[in-house]
Amino acid sequence: MNKINLLFLFAITSLFYSCSDPVITDDLLDGNVIFDPSLYNPEQFLVSAKYPTPTQADLNKHIILVIHGYSATTFEWQEFKDWSNESNYRISQVLLGGHGRDYDSFKASKWKDWRSAISNEYEKLIALGYTKISIAGSSTGGTLILELVKSGYFNSKLHPKNLFLIDPIVVASSKLQSTVGIIGPMIVSAESDQGAQENKYWYRFRPYETINELNDVMRTVRKGLEDGITLPTGTYLKVFHSLHDPVASTTSTVLIYKGLKTSIGTPIDVQLMNSDIHVFTRLSLRSNVTPLQHANQLDAFNQIVSKLN
Amino acid sequence: MKKIIIFSFILCTIIIQAQTLKVGIRIQKTQEMYWENGISSQYSFAKFKPNQFFIGLDYVSSRLGSAYNSNAIKQDSYIFSGSWLFNKSKPYHFLTRLNLGYFYSDLESEIFNEIPNTSFLLAPELGFTYDFKKVPISLNLGTGFYIITAKEGYSPGTLQPLYFHFDIYYTLFKKQTK
Repeated sequence: MNKINLLFLFAITSLFYSCSDPVITDDLLDGNVIFDPSLYNPEQFLVSAKYPTPTQADLNKHIILVIHGYSATTFEWQEFKDWSNESNYRISQVLLGGHGRDYDSFKASKWKDWRSAISNEYEKLIALGYTKISIAGSSTGGTLILELVKSGYFNSKLHPKNLFLIDPIVVASSKLQSTVGIIGPMIVSAESDQGAQENKYWYRFRPYETINELNDVMRTVRKGLEDGITLPTGTYLKVFHSLHDPVASTTSTVLIYKGLKTSIGTPIDVQLMNSDIHVFTRLSLRSNVTPLQHANQLDAFNQIVSKLN
Repeated sequence: MKKIIIFSFILCTIIIQAQTLKVGIRIQKTQEMYWENGISSQYSFAKFKPNQFFIGLDYVSSRLGSAYNSNAIKQDSYIFSGSWLFNKSKPYHFLTRLNLGYFYSDLESEIFNEIPNTSFLLAPELGFTYDFKKVPISLNLGTGFYIITAKEGYSPGTLQPLYFHFDIYYTLFKKQTK
């Protein structure tokens, strides 16, 4: 066999190897053993499941849906739940469709599946009689909330009282994310550099198909913002964004500020946090958490809760 | 008046020294980001690799693309390039190019003053050019990749790496080769 044939064989073998699925073990959320607990015990996470026949006292409470980001689980908002004193409000932790299950379920999911978990819980709460509902979303959770607003989903329903976006992603900080539509079939999946404990709450392997879905919903929202989006009447919205977010570019918030207005045409509220972590409200399982990071988290939590009273 | 005279002098000097001078429009699309259109010029020296080595100046902006009449971010790229054409005796050429430049995005509001909005540009590029024989027009297709070395979160968000462009040039000046 001459050198050219050997080189050709090497290239084909390399391509075949690079196109193979990742090796998934049972210690990962991607595997078939660990699942998000909201799948087993929805009543511990969803207000609609915990109070299927709410009393008038229940209905008087303000409900806030908290939505995690791409590849994450309900764990992303667990600190807010643990921190909260839910005397006047209740938290409904939504697990996005396709998330918290296994690699194949995630791979097969579309962003509309991710979004459907939000609308399902929102509509259940309305059907049960709740009249004060707010939504907070981190990262892609925020993007999905913006997509719901853009699509006019809330126009024919109860308008949410407040919308809070934490590090929403409309433009990615990772420059290679925009090329996945071209190189995706060669890379198959992207592996996240995360700790052993984080492996239980975030997918470690992100199939390129899902990155394409993420890019698709980001593009949809970005286009909507370019054309202009108006909030439902009476809905308040605030964006919190880390100044040097390594995942969701802070430029995302510039685009949201430029493209989204309240129902009376005024600008939305924005606060840039002195931070370089993505989803600054989740500090659990992070190493070397600083007092500033704690202060940022507390600041956002307090501002969110002040709007629920 | 003084500026016009100086500009005319520089232009005349460039033309005297030139083998070829082409100017035209550029239509550019960045993967998963904006349409950024603008102007492009290519210049080859009479005394150094005529019609094979070109230097170029380009300006593209979302102001002439996605940001026109929309809320997209207004951003500008100023690019200087050096290109090498292959099979120069034929009407079609493959080319390699190295771009250097400066990127600026206008975030408009003071509350965003701390967000990174400028960057130096470095992008290798591959392209294909076709010169029409009977008219002084040439077409160029190119794809390039901005090498962005800044840490994630520290470069302008709307500066994305992979781009494609199409240029239509009008040849202002071309010396006949012997």
